[in-house]
Amino acid sequence: MKIIVAIKQVPERDAQIRIDAAGKWIEESGLQYALNESDAYALEEALQLKEKHGGEVVVLTAGPERVGPTIREALAKGADRAIHIDCADLGSRDALGVARLLAAAVKPENPDLILTGLQSDDLGQGQTGVILAELLGLPHSSLILHVDKTDSGLTVKRELEEGWFQSIELPTPAVLTIQSGGNKLRYATLMGIKRAKTKEVRTVSAAELASDATPVAVLERVALPQKQKSTQMIPGNPKEAAAALVEKLKFEARVL
Amino acid sequence: MLPLSAILAEPQSFSLAEKLLLIVLVAASVTAFWLRFRVVLAKILQSKKDASFRLFPIGKRLWDFLWEVAFQAKVIRQRPLPGLAHAFVFWGFCAFVLVTLNHFAVGLGLGFLSPTSLFGRFYFDFAAVFALACAVGILGLFIRRFLVRPKWLGQQLSYQSGFIAFLIFLLMVTYLASFFVADADPATRVLWWVHTLALLTFLPIIPHTKHLHLVLSPATVFLSRGSFSQIPPLAGDEDFGLIAGTDLTRLVSLQAFSCVECGRCTEHCPAAITGKLLNPKEIILGLRNYLNDLGPASEEPLLGKYNPQEAPFQCTTCGACEFQCPVGIEHLPILIGLRRGAVNTGTWQDDYGSKLFLALERGSNAHGLPASERDKFIEKVALPIFDGSQEYCLWLGCMGGYDPKGREIIADFAHVMNYLGTSFGVLRKEKCCGDPVRRLGNDLVFQKLAESNLEVFAQSKVKKVVSICPHCVRTIQEDWKEFGTPPPVEHHSEFLAGHANKLPAKRSGSESIVYHDPCYLGRYRNVYKQPRKVVKLAGKLVEAPRNHERSFCCGAGGGLVFLGEETGERVGQVRATELIATGATTIGTACPFCNSIFRDALAEKGAAAPQLLDIAQLTARGLPESQT
Repeated sequence: MKIIVAIKQVPERDAQIRIDAAGKWIEESGLQYALNESDAYALEEALQLKEKHGGEVVVLTAGPERVGPTIREALAKGADRAIHIDCADLGSRDALGVARLLAAAVKPENPDLILTGLQSDDLGQGQTGVILAELLGLPHSSLILHVDKTDSGLTVKRELEEGWFQSIELPTPAVLTIQSGGNKLRYATLMGIKRAKTKEVRTVSAAELASDATPVAVLERVALPQKQKSTQMIPGNPKEAAAALVEKLKFEARVL
Repeated sequence: MLPLSAILAEPQSFSLAEKLLLIVLVAASVTAFWLRFRVVLAKILQSKKDASFRLFPIGKRLWDFLWEVAFQAKVIRQRPLPGLAHAFVFWGFCAFVLVTLNHFAVGLGLGFLSPTSLFGRFYFDFAAVFALACAVGILGLFIRRFLVRPKWLGQQLSYQSGFIAFLIFLLMVTYLASFFVADADPATRVLWWVHTLALLTFLPIIPHTKHLHLVLSPATVFLSRGSFSQIPPLAGDEDFGLIAGTDLTRLVSLQAFSCVECGRCTEHCPAAITGKLLNPKEIILGLRNYLNDLGPASEEPLLGKYNPQEAPFQCTTCGACEFQCPVGIEHLPILIGLRRGAVNTGTWQDDYGSKLFLALERGSNAHGLPASERDKFIEKVALPIFDGSQEYCLWLGCMGGYDPKGREIIADFAHVMNYLGTSFGVLRKEKCCGDPVRRLGNDLVFQKLAESNLEVFAQSKVKKVVSICPHCVRTIQEDWKEFGTPPPVEHHSEFLAGHANKLPAKRSGSESIVYHDPCYLGRYRNVYKQPRKVVKLAGKLVEAPRNHERSFCCGAGGGLVFLGEETGERVGQVRATELIATGATTIGTACPFCNSIFRDALAEKGAAAPQLLDIAQLTARGLPESQT
């Protein structure tokens, strides 16, 4: 089975985010980057499928030169080769624009399965994977926790609301967007990193893929979330207070 | 009863037949020795070269050799009675070198040391004193092994050891008996031959048994890596740690063959004591068996048949084994080397371990918490940010930056530094020092963390570092050296002891404080006096039964604190119980990991538990209120 995993490099989870002068994007200088979390799960799912059924795992990413370490990390964890779409203006492209780039790079590969993370940790639109499927004319399913290969195609486990799951059968080739937490991630190893040095990373420029960069959705403004803290004192004896607290947690905070 | 002449009797002449027999026997004995010893030597020399080995500076090597081998200081100090018995045997052997050479020379009619000459008379008497001590010593060791039978010598009785003890005893007795007979007495000849045969039997047994340490351990002590728990840098692109025979270096192989199976390592190992699978002696013997069966060219894995994979991962890296070992075996580079082999290739699969590695691959701290939590803490207690102008960079560490109790220690220590008027600041971009991944053998993540932190140090122009965590101190000061030049690092006990004269003395003299030596401060850094000095400012110092270099681990080290519940009895529980039993009203710690382990252990004891305070907290508590 030939699997392409589309991954994205995003600011590190612990990064201290600042908004740039124009207010349209984050200040990228001084930031450290890492592999998008749900993409890490997509890669893990692909690697486990390969370990079970054989085949090849190709990672595909679009971004500027700084994505190099993220590609090497994916190769170190076990991907066989990588395609890097060199594109410095990722931030100004919308999901359609990025999906067009990915689709153009995927087509000549003719994979059996394309996996992406459910959504990116930076923009969080959750669109790229499904648009990619549409552009490629392939069946797709989102929020996937687990993939099984069957004789005729795939059986996948989808996460629904409130702890429900759904089992779906799909033919291949297909596009799946993977939810975080379905697997246990493997750690990168020194041996993996050293072996990764000899693996193929093919770089293609965004211009070469000749896709339209004009966004249909334009980013107006980005802003840091306003921090809000409010404390409520619940009066009454412990029994009443506890009942009132449960009420609030259920219906106001909606965490129960 | 025979008269004591105080002159050694020797047969005056030997027939040709006797001389020929002697030559044949000596040749046979030496050949039998060599046939086996050659194999051992070849296995050591065929092992991979130690890429980072440097013979110089030689001064420390010579000192270690003198102290540990010649003076038997470690052997005696850590186990006084059997140690002294062993030292007598060893010194007896040394004194006997000249006697033995002369003994064989006499048999060929070439004796060079006349028992009646002034020097000869002196020397033979001198050797007789040692012979007596040696005989008593070996008898004592025999009684210990076969009658007392301490459990760390192993379940099975070693009859080889018994036979060797008998031979040594026979050697000494035949020598001593020769003072009670005359030269012409036929008994003299019998004694001479019995002594000869005992020696010639003894020689070939040496390389076949643990008595190989007679020949190897002086070299092992002299050639050891030199500093405590020195983890060698990986050599080249194909070195991932100890995976197979081909990864065993000459030092490791030499050490494996040197093991004398005394079990001191196991006796002091917190894992072995609390019923874990790990037994440091078995780890070394496993390697020796591997070398004997498969040799250093084998590609068979070291873990599996010869040692279980779980065992090295139960090590707290407390270093008691390495510290105790009388023959110079360095257990930590071996145990960590085995971990490296398993982790650097991904063969070690552990949910907690993976979680820790991923947390440090992607984030900044071992707890896997967002770095913003650390910023909030810095803001909350108003810690100044290091800007290059202050004297000290206060390193928070994962415990100081994220753990509630660790934060209390930092806050109190900062309070003391303010009181002393010492300028300091904390870094915004500090990451985990890499201690847990270093000890667990994840070289990839360790290198990333060390390099990233070294870069932050350089950018911020850090000149001096002070830390509340002995693990950070050790890792920054020693382990980071592989990737750059770390600034000098002080542990806060060293800082506080250095400023003791400016700190208010005993406020509550009645309080008794039992001080727990953290492994990474004591055995790793040799810092014992300073924290005690600080404790004495706050109250009456009480010593735990196991203290200083014999201190018993809390169980947190070696990354184990991040690996979930241990099997069997908890190491921390054992130590906490021991500390409580001293009756002290307070347990004084100097390591946030020990502190966190004891916090949990004490919680189980309920209200009766003593209070638990770091030395920084003990100090802060004693500061005048007006200054706070």
